[in-house]
Amino acid sequence: MTTTQPTYEPAITFDFRRALHENRLKGLWKMMVDYRLPYIGATLALAVSALAKTFTYLLLRFFADDVLAQGKFIGGSLVTTSLWIGAGFVGLAIVEGGFSFLSGRLAAYTAEGITRRLRDFLFDHIQRLSFSYHATTPTGDLIERVTSDVDALRRFFSEQGIGMGRIILLFVINFAAILNLNVELGLISVIVIPFMLWVSLWFFKKVTKAYEEYQAQEAVLSTTLQENLTGVRVVKAFARQEYEKNKFEKDNWGKFLKGKILLFMHSMFWPLSDIVLGLQMLFGFVYAANMAINGEITVGMYIAYVGLVVWLIWPIRNLGRIIVSASTGMVSYGRLMEVVKQAREPLHDGKYQPAGAVRGEIVFENVSFMYSDGKSDALKNISFHVKPGQAVALLGSTGSGKTSLVNLLPRFHEYTGGRILLDGVELKDYPRAYLRRQIGIVEQEPFLFSRSIRENITYGVGRDVPQEEVERAAKAAAIHDVILTFPDGYNTLVGEKGVTLSGGQKQRVTIARTLLKNPRILILDDSTSSVDTETEAEIRAALNQLMENRTTFIIAHRIQSVMNADLILVLDKGEVVQMGTHEELLADPAGMYRRIYDIQTRIDEELEMEIAKAQ
Amino acid sequence: MSDTDLIELEEEEHTSQLTAPVFRRILTLLKPHWKWVLGFLITIALTSALDAWFTYLNKQIVDTGIVPGDKARVMQLAVIYGVFQLLQAGFVFTFIYLAGVLGERVQYDLRKMLFNHLQDLSLSYYAQNAVGRLIARVTSDTGRVADLLTWGVVDTTWAVMNIITSVTFMALINWRLALIVFTVIPLMLFIAVQFRKRILVEYRTARRTNSKITGAFNENFQGVRVVKALLREDENTREFQGLTTQMYNASYRAAWLSALFLPTVQIIAALALGVIVGYGGTQIQVGMMTIGGIQAFVSYLTFMMWPIQDLARVYAEMQHSIASAERIFKLADTPPEVHDRPGAVPAETLMGEIEFDHVDFFYEDRKPVLTDFTLKVKPGETIALVGPTGGGKSTIVNLLCRFYEPRSGVIRINGRDYRDYTLASIHSRIGIVLQTPHLFSGSVRDNIRYGRLEAADEEIVEAAKIAGAHDFIVTLEKGYDHNVGEGGNLLSVGQKQLISLARAVLARPELFIMDEATSSVDTLTEALIQKGMENLMQGRTSFVIAHRLSTIRRADRILVIENGRIAEQGTHAELLKLRGHYYRLYTQQFRHELEARYGVAEEEMKEEREALAAD
Repeated sequence: MTTTQPTYEPAITFDFRRALHENRLKGLWKMMVDYRLPYIGATLALAVSALAKTFTYLLLRFFADDVLAQGKFIGGSLVTTSLWIGAGFVGLAIVEGGFSFLSGRLAAYTAEGITRRLRDFLFDHIQRLSFSYHATTPTGDLIERVTSDVDALRRFFSEQGIGMGRIILLFVINFAAILNLNVELGLISVIVIPFMLWVSLWFFKKVTKAYEEYQAQEAVLSTTLQENLTGVRVVKAFARQEYEKNKFEKDNWGKFLKGKILLFMHSMFWPLSDIVLGLQMLFGFVYAANMAINGEITVGMYIAYVGLVVWLIWPIRNLGRIIVSASTGMVSYGRLMEVVKQAREPLHDGKYQPAGAVRGEIVFENVSFMYSDGKSDALKNISFHVKPGQAVALLGSTGSGKTSLVNLLPRFHEYTGGRILLDGVELKDYPRAYLRRQIGIVEQEPFLFSRSIRENITYGVGRDVPQEEVERAAKAAAIHDVILTFPDGYNTLVGEKGVTLSGGQKQRVTIARTLLKNPRILILDDSTSSVDTETEAEIRAALNQLMENRTTFIIAHRIQSVMNADLILVLDKGEVVQMGTHEELLADPAGMYRRIYDIQTRIDEELEMEIAKAQ
Repeated sequence: MSDTDLIELEEEEHTSQLTAPVFRRILTLLKPHWKWVLGFLITIALTSALDAWFTYLNKQIVDTGIVPGDKARVMQLAVIYGVFQLLQAGFVFTFIYLAGVLGERVQYDLRKMLFNHLQDLSLSYYAQNAVGRLIARVTSDTGRVADLLTWGVVDTTWAVMNIITSVTFMALINWRLALIVFTVIPLMLFIAVQFRKRILVEYRTARRTNSKITGAFNENFQGVRVVKALLREDENTREFQGLTTQMYNASYRAAWLSALFLPTVQIIAALALGVIVGYGGTQIQVGMMTIGGIQAFVSYLTFMMWPIQDLARVYAEMQHSIASAERIFKLADTPPEVHDRPGAVPAETLMGEIEFDHVDFFYEDRKPVLTDFTLKVKPGETIALVGPTGGGKSTIVNLLCRFYEPRSGVIRINGRDYRDYTLASIHSRIGIVLQTPHLFSGSVRDNIRYGRLEAADEEIVEAAKIAGAHDFIVTLEKGYDHNVGEGGNLLSVGQKQLISLARAVLARPELFIMDEATSSVDTLTEALIQKGMENLMQGRTSFVIAHRLSTIRRADRILVIENGRIAEQGTHAELLKLRGHYYRLYTQQFRHELEARYGVAEEEMKEEREALAAD
């Protein structure tokens, strides 16, 4: 087996770190690289479509004034003229519809394209952030950002950006057309527009707030529901059904009331703004009708005006709505960029680029380590020496620094003092990727992915593994027989939709995986877990096989798992309090190791005593 | 969240073909609110009719006002127009408010009905239905049905009314031309529905993929340690890009189909318009058509796409709403498996002999769990249940609490079949502490009070003291008013268990049931829990699913449950002598418990040994 693996370079098409900018609008613009032309194209297509609509009414005007009133016929008769005009309407509708479609398609292309590469980038980026970032950031918060905030940005491009463009273009083009018919008429038609825009902005801000309250109450209701359903045994055991019904009733009614407020706001705003805009329109009609009767404008101009003014006035209300919701897109940009600007862990950087596998000689020289929060030293002045193939055991209570120590080896964390030498070269000079390929980790209760068992075993091996090899590894890890009892054998899914594995089973899957990976250095977390004696023996046998010819670090609570190690470090509060082989450590009667050992031997005596007492 | 989505989507797939009976049943939901329904139906119909009328008024202004130059007529029509506008605003207010509030109300009613019914359903129902699924029933399914009944009906009424009145006015202007419009409406509708259905399919694919994307993000965040250790970053990103590509394809298709939808309908309308203008223009000469009439046709046809779009949308979504309703009714129709028998009497006390008489039991999968199980328990006795997972310990407790009832055989309390008693009278005399204690959002005090709702504050403190919870509660920032968080998540498992002990104490149960936690809690809390249990068990019949040695040793009788039978029973001393199942379980547990404490603190070990010696 070879230890070098093929690397797949995922094609991340755009590095969003280029889109970081203090000004959010500029940041959004930078995000649009490669999509700017299509988006501008979408806006232009929208303009053509809006123009076609405007020309429909101008054609109507031509028909009324030039054809009917003045008798200017195309092709000599009213019949052919009418047919031409009819064809004109169809043609304009096709232009309008065609360009409207083009605009929609280009906007979707932009929005969906940017969203796709944003998701790809975030997925790739986040898994490359440092360990400490992941340790301090709640998963729920990250999920919220990569789902809701990404979707808010998608809507910004697909709906809000183009929606604002549409309303503004409709306004500008139709206003220009009406001004062209008659300036006076144009000006009297937009009297209430600034007022209406202001009111709708005000209203939608209010209604957004009311909607948030409504949603918050919905969340309260969901929590009550969820707690009731998951706690059904408690509810039943205390016979609290009536109490629960009342509690739900209160939240349910509360939501109904919040909904009522929201609906009242809507049912006031829409008809009231209907009245304002409707009266504005009627005022325009009467004014224009008088001008037409007085001969200041033609009948055709009047008809065109009636058609055009609709597109000037009614969309304004929606502009307020879109502007308010676009502001959420801006907030989301900020929240996403907070993630984007985090520094990545460089995987391939390193002064020393070794060619082959490591031998596995490890030297710690006065190594200290402090977490970035700087509260206290996790490790203090650790020094020891491991020869290739040797096993080092770390014994100590929770929080004594065992895990912190082994986390330094794959460079999950960087030591802050002293140095670690691997095969005589400082650990910090190795590329992280290289180290992680050389090191295998078996955790006590490892994380499995919701894939098939087979995929979990070959996860991260980085090459195609034939089934026989997978089975051989599973047999060696004493998990093969268990897997065969699952409904689909090796293809059984792990997790909610498949089987749930016990801690011991998960651990053995990881052992099989590590056997396939075949690392030179091994880290085993062998803390006590509640497995029965038989399984424990099986796991032990599997572990012993795994440890052969590898430099191994064993984390343990129990003497039993450490006594065969070549070197035992007894850790307490981040310091090595004792170091040596089992025999050496036992020789020190005052040492911690000896004390632990004594208690263990006493257990058997005590058990015998207990049983004797019973008899 | 994403899980719920997934379940929902999976279930959307299958719906029965019998929609008509379901639909009739949905309509009965509106019966109690028929006045509201009538109210919004009338107002939406009037709103719609006025919408069409406005266009006709515009035609009249041109034909009878402007063309003859009659200013008085213009003013007269303008006044009518203005009055209509005010009337319509009133109608709009009424239908938005009535339909909206009714929608909220229907949802409120449905949720109340479902929640109350869920309270009565037996544990067997909960065992077969994931909580996520039930939540989806109560939250999203009710929303969809309420939407169909209100906005669905509003949109349909508006659209149908709008089409009818528009066609009527067109027929008034020129019935031949109206006939042309009338014939293209079905075509427009057909095309619109086809579009809508396809868009919905793509939209749902996108949603399903979106759930997968969220899942992938979630798993990668939670398993980031494994990802990094196995250098799986590149491969993961590549896999993820497969998902985002799927997502891109589905959402892009949905978006451009949407963009194509309206223009297509619009162009069909324009074709009709072309024919009308081409033909109508020639009729002006013969006085069959006026310029105002042409203008009205242009308006009617331009706005015809809105009712068409509404109808298509409601129609396409209707089948999903009906599927939702079907699922709601199915839940509401499920009868509770365990319920009071006719003539059941309240149990006066549970402090009597409890007897399992040849009880058989199996869960829904029909695999036997208990077979011919017989047991007699004297009042006040403490029974410890030990044995391997899946042996039947929890089932005994479930039957005892009457969460389930025996499939055959009888359970007697005080010599009488416990099915002759009312459920409430049994449950109100039981105190239960679960392995994974369940708390509700709210304060510590609220959670303890759950045991007895009418308890005074002093009694709560008293109960907490007995349970050994008082000391830690007062160290909390807000003491008894401290918020425990959703599901009690802000507290540790040990603290949650102490509070649920206090809750059980307050209930003053006659029968106490405890499922000990297997997960380790810190030593101090552990000691407190032990003390609390001891206090609680005094003078009560107790069943404990025991994991701790001290609990086991303290029991009056120990039952070793294996494969649904009592493998061994007796006192601690008796069972040790047998050197059988119990002996093996005990020695293994003994080692584990003592070994687990090695590195932690030697002092505790001493105490433990002293306690052992004192026993």
